Order: sequence, then structure tokens, then C-alpha cells
Amino acid sequence: MENKAEKKVKFFDRVKNNDYYIKWIKSPFTYVAAAVLLAIFQIVTLAATGNPWGVSGVFAYWGAWIYEAVGGTVDKWFYFASPGAQATLDAGFMEHAGTWRNIGIIFGALAATFLASGFKIKKIKSKKQIVAAIIGGLMMGYGARIAAGCNIGALFSGIASLSLSGWVFAVAMFFGAVVGSKLLVKFFM
Amino acid sequence: MAEQSSLASRRSSSSASRRKPKKNQIPIGVALVIIIVAIGIYLGTKSGQLALYWTLGISFGVILQKGRFCFTASMRDPYLTGGTSLTRAVLIAFAIATIGFAAIKYGYQSMGLPMPGMSYVAPVSLGTVFGAFIFGIGMVIAGGCASGTLMRVGEGFHMQILSLLFFIIGSLWGAHDFGWWKLNVISKGKEVFLPDVFGWAGALFVQLTIIVLLYIAAEKYEEKRKAQ
Amino acid sequence: MNEVILDCLGEACPVPLVKAQNKIAEMNIGDILIVQIDHSCAMKNLPEWARKDGHNVEVEEVDDGEWEVIIEKLK
Repeated sequence: MENKAEKKVKFFDRVKNNDYYIKWIKSPFTYVAAAVLLAIFQIVTLAATGNPWGVSGVFAYWGAWIYEAVGGTVDKWFYFASPGAQATLDAGFMEHAGTWRNIGIIFGALAATFLASGFKIKKIKSKKQIVAAIIGGLMMGYGARIAAGCNIGALFSGIASLSLSGWVFAVAMFFGAVVGSKLLVKFFM
Repeated sequence: MAEQSSLASRRSSSSASRRKPKKNQIPIGVALVIIIVAIGIYLGTKSGQLALYWTLGISFGVILQKGRFCFTASMRDPYLTGGTSLTRAVLIAFAIATIGFAAIKYGYQSMGLPMPGMSYVAPVSLGTVFGAFIFGIGMVIAGGCASGTLMRVGEGFHMQILSLLFFIIGSLWGAHDFGWWKLNVISKGKEVFLPDVFGWAGALFVQLTIIVLLYIAAEKYEEKRKAQ
Repeated sequence: MNEVILDCLGEACPVPLVKAQNKIAEMNIGDILIVQIDHSCAMKNLPEWARKDGHNVEVEEVDDGEWEVIIEKLK
């Protein structure tokens, strides 16, 4: 038994030094390669699902399910008032396609990191990071709902859809990023 | 390689690599791939749509992680560090996706069918400006946008788990206030689909020209910042 | 020749890059800066910036998901 286990370890150590492994699985893609791939899969998404890629709309449903699990109700909210939204809420997250796509992003990144043998749990280092995560998260969540999307749904998908809203989002987001950078350097570094 | 190793050997402090034995994580990665496939098969038994979305999510996650692709950095780095390589990569993604989207939408329209994904042509209002502005601030502070936060949760960042949690709470808060915004702000805006304004060829020409000009500007800007 | 170690473990982007930029600005030519990082994006953008800035760069993987970026200031 021990011998077998040892052989297995040796096999994966050999993989680790294999040239193709290093080239294709270990090393990062270039930014341009990733950009081309993202664009291709964005087009695939529109062709196959009838809608462009979106991420943050799903988070509103996650919030609603959590809120309902702790006893709240969102039935009276305008945002969830449409029959479609009600049906999605009633069906639950296990039946929600967007939920599985978002969880898929997490799992895809997790698997890619492990396959590259580069996984490490990164603990929170300081109180500043906690404050930054809370404030930043809240601002992204609220902003994405008011602007009808995030960097994916409103920006990437908006611009790809030849919508003026995508460009307006881009300009406003850029200035937000400048202000955010100033705040980051001043308070969170 | 020879020149590279010389730099490491010239350092006086000892490299941590000689202290820590490296573990091999590839077997866990292989196990994860098997789990991913198993979940895909399970979802496929429920509905093809769920399996399709799962596959797309996995693909996006892998691409984002392998490319270290970060929309936050593409917006932040020009100002903060003077680098624009991610900005230019994002512009390339925009250009390619634009062409693909236009082709699909045009195809549907010319067959007399309703175009897919038109709900993503959102009204332009002060809500778009305000929402995108605070989203921009938030993503820089939290160290990740919507896709980047999910990707970094997968990479093992506790900080991004926390920001994802508050992203969800913020989304719920935004959804709670959405009725007010819709009534007073968003409803005053109008959806502008560029082909309606410039025609199909015109819209593609205008948008791709803007993307090319932005690309050139980004490159020139980086050279200028470096010269300083 | 000086050698400075910058501990950026647990820091998220863009903190390692900004800290490294500030540090290298106050160092002398020929000095070596070692930035310890565990943020996989910094493992890409830090060497990229340093190379474009005209320094000698090398990345060493010291552990799973942990890198040391060694930068020799050349100008």
C-alpha cells in the first residue's frame, strides 16, 4: 500500500516538472489571451443563453433568499415585484441558473489555482482590510443595483451590446476608481 | 535563465524556498476537476440550462484566474500606477465581443426575430452615473470587482469572502431602494441602442473607432507616465 | 549594495505594487528590493511594472501561492 501511495506522489511530482504542464497549466495566460477568451465566451453566452453575461444581479437574489431565511420578506419590494422575479425566488437557489454560473466562477478559479499548485489561504491581515471589505462590498452592491449592473452586466455586456449605458457606466466607473484609489492610498494602506 | 539565477544567488538574505518544503497540490486540483464534472452531470439531470450555466461559470472562473484578469486594475492602474496593459486588454475584449454581439443581434433582426439580450441595453440616467461611480470607488477599496471578488474567493482570500458577503447585503439594500430610484431617476432616462442612432455599420464603426482611439491613448499615456 | 525586504504577505492589489514603487524610488542604483507577496495578481503586475521601468527582475516561488519578487534597481 505504501509503495503504491509513494508511486502516486512520484507521478504528480513528475507532472509538476513536465514542460507542457508548466507551459499550459502552471504559467498564467497573458492579459491579451485572457481578454480574447473572455470575449469568445461572452459571445458564446449570448448565443447559447439568449442573454449576455451578468454577475451581480444574482447577488440581489442571494440577498433575498438569505433575508427570507432569517424571517424577512421581499414580496412588497418593487425590485422583486415582477412575476418572473417572484417565480425565481419561489423556485429557490438550487434551480437558479445564474447562481450556478457564479458558483462556477468560484470553483473554476479554485480548481485552476490548485492545478497550478498555487493555493494558499490568505487570512485577513488588519482591521483596515475588514473595514475596506465591508465599505467596498456595500458600495459595489448598492451601486450595481442602481446602475443596473456591475463591471460585467453593465460595463462588459453593456458595451458589447452596443448600448450607450455601457459607455456612460465606464466613464463614471473610471472616475469612481480614481476617487477610490485616493481613498485607498490615504486610509487603507 | 542564466542571468536570472544570478540575481537570486547575489542576494544576501536566504530565500524562503530553501526553508520550506513545497507541497504538491496537483492531486487536489484533479479531485476538484472530478467534483466539477460530477456537479455538471448532476445539474444536467435536472436541466440542460443549469449544466450550461455551470459550464460557462467554470470557464469564466478559469480564464479570469489564469489570466489574473482584473477589471478593477484596468480602471485603477492608469491613475494609480501608470500601467495600462490591463486597460488595453479590456479594450480588446470589448472590441471582439462587440463584433460577435452585433453579428448575433443583426442575424436575429434580419430574420425578423426579436434580438436577444436587449434588456442589457439599460436606460441612461443619473442612476447609471451615480451607481457606476460608487461601484468604482467600492471595487478599488475592496480589491476586486464583481467577477474579481468571486475569482479571489476561489483563490482563498478571506478578505474577499467578507466583501462578497457585504456585496450581497449591498445588493439587497439597493434592491430595497430600487423602487424610489426607478420612479424618480431611472424612469427619466432613455435606452440608447447605438444601431438605432447610427445604423448597424455606423454603430460598429463609431464604437470600434472609439475603442481603437482609447487603446492608442492608453499606450501613449503609459509612455508619458514612464518618462516622468 | 543594500538589500531591502518588503513584506506584502496578505496585502491585496494594488498595495504591493504601490509600496514597491515608493520603496524603489528611495533606493540607490544597484540596491536589491525583495517583495514578498501571496497575491497571485501581484505576481504578474509587479514584475511587469519593474521590467517596464527598466530594472532587473526575477520571481521566485517560495511556497504554494507565495512568491518573492527580486528587483535590482538599475536606474
